[in-house]
Amino acid sequence: MHYSDLAKRIVDELLRPDGSDKLRPVHTIGIGATGYFEPSEVAPQYCKADHFITPRTKATLRFSNGSGSKTQHDDWSDVRGMATRFHLSDGTDTDLIMMTLPEFFARTPEEFLEFTLAAKPTEVHWVSPWKKIWQMLHLIPPQPDPYPDEEISPNEGAIKFANENRYSQLAVFQAAAIGAPVSYLRAAYHAVHTFVVTGEDEVERWVRFTWQPIDGVKNENPLDPPGADYLQGRLRDRLADHTSRFTLMMQIGEVGDAFDDSTKPWPPHRQRVMMGTLTLDHAAEDTKAQDDYFEKLSFNPMLLTPGIRASEDPVLHIRKEAYAYSSGKRDATPCPFSGGAEDDQ
Amino acid sequence: MTNKDTWFNRYVNSLPTRGWFKLLSRYVVVPYWIWRDPKPKLPGGPRESPQPSENTQRMMNLIMPLKDPSPMGRAMAAMAIAQNVDEIFSGLDNVGTVHTARFLILGDNLCMISVYDGDFSNYIRDFIETIGSVFDAVISQIKGAEHMIPTCDHVEEFIEWVHDHDLFQAPDFPTDLFALQDAAKGLPTDGPAHEIMTLPRDLILQLHANPNLSLGGGYRSYPGYSAAQVRDKFGVGW
Ligand code: HEM
Repeated sequence: MHYSDLAKRIVDELLRPDGSDKLRPVHTIGIGATGYFEPSEVAPQYCKADHFITPRTKATLRFSNGSGSKTQHDDWSDVRGMATRFHLSDGTDTDLIMMTLPEFFARTPEEFLEFTLAAKPTEVHWVSPWKKIWQMLHLIPPQPDPYPDEEISPNEGAIKFANENRYSQLAVFQAAAIGAPVSYLRAAYHAVHTFVVTGEDEVERWVRFTWQPIDGVKNENPLDPPGADYLQGRLRDRLADHTSRFTLMMQIGEVGDAFDDSTKPWPPHRQRVMMGTLTLDHAAEDTKAQDDYFEKLSFNPMLLTPGIRASEDPVLHIRKEAYAYSSGKRDATPCPFSGGAEDDQ
Repeated sequence: MTNKDTWFNRYVNSLPTRGWFKLLSRYVVVPYWIWRDPKPKLPGGPRESPQPSENTQRMMNLIMPLKDPSPMGRAMAAMAIAQNVDEIFSGLDNVGTVHTARFLILGDNLCMISVYDGDFSNYIRDFIETIGSVFDAVISQIKGAEHMIPTCDHVEEFIEWVHDHDLFQAPDFPTDLFALQDAAKGLPTDGPAHEIMTLPRDLILQLHANPNLSLGGGYRSYPGYSAAQVRDKFGVGW
């Protein structure tokens, strides 16, 4: 696959000084899980892809913290990721990558590069108490104090960028307040981009996907943080003798909706379809073999299958190259696009 | 990085929860900002949208101040509704586009809360057409509304009045507030960006201009379907 300079530049610039080029440049800390997906009764009407017409499809997942730091900080406020690979009946795979933030920071790859450069982690600052008082008198919430051990952070740069770019404001504002979930199984995740699904009747619909946890959404109390390392243990504990489920909800877009702009979530009043249920029954054990397997996995949001195709969202399209290039760079198990094929669709 | 978590820093962090600082904010800081950066009252009801699902299950939160908020006056308002239940229910059946509607007495207000499909003006017009006499009975209990009785002779004025007493619906996505405030001031909505951390202040100031509001457009368990489609699917005959 040919990688554009832009895709390579973005991935290279994402790497943080406290990250590692042997690991993912973002979503660096994570844990694997497995389970199966069962489509709802109505799913085939909307999407004829294999996993929506097959009664049960095995799935491999990786949950992650969004940060590119190689040090685990589960209790820091951060976006979380849930990458799902469905193992289809013909032996191929399709991926569905989601995060807890419902929208993205940029409308185009070029804007995302600008954002990445602006939000490069910088040394964290304690805002002086006098400045905090000044801000409170201006009814502006002061920036929270740094976490103990926090050295660098993208926040200052991201907020400065958002102050100048309306399109990034919602994502930056919501990311700033996103918090830490009590469990990877207790957060809702969004695929953010629009995909085009084709139903059994060949009708195409422009849609957006969300995983909703049946365990319910719950965040930690930031004033009583549980410590830097609890998400992986809780996932293993929960799945040791129970299963945990997510429903796959699909919003159907309407003419006039932002199909190709992932900075704009769709209003909650769009028609919604429950497409199926994911049951997780196993978390990766705390062994080197499991770690090697899941940490070397390479997901790709453009790994699709007949019945689902990408919208024209340019950010979605550049992710195909970015993830494949990143996979090669960190010497991971290649994703299907990492090979030599000149397949850029 | 040196740890700057001094006693003074911790004290400042706790200011928002301290009584004296809350009083200072309430009686000095917020009034100062209301004076310095007043926000226009934002209009009530759902916003115009060409999209079909935005035109079904729209919310009306009509808040009407009672002329006489004493228990006697409240009882009169309750009676005005109770004596007209048949008219209201058959009127709503005739209008046909209403999912739910109910009256509340809340604070010193009589409220009509409903979920309807389609255009707002048509909804009110249909209503006056079918149950105008009920409206007359109801608004005779309301402060500043008597001059519109009978409503069938003041249709446009009554529609305007209802719109004005319908709650502002805060946007589903917080940063959209900037654009709504800009639009209300006649500023371009794609002009220079606002500083995002001023959003909490803008919300506080908006809550001064619109003390009551609906928080977002609300949840729907079957979004995008009209009352007519739901009835049709269940085969209930109209
Ligand atoms: C231009 C936009 C984006 C770029 C360039 C980008 C880049 C990357 C890269 C390079 C990786 C590491 C891939 C690897 O080494 O295997 C990654 C991982 C990830 N990204 Fe993105 N990303 C973008 C947008 C998004 C969006 C919109 C989402 C959410 C819907 C998302 C969610 C994730 C998740 C969950 C992972 C971790 C996957 C795993 O567990 O292996 N990213 N991203």
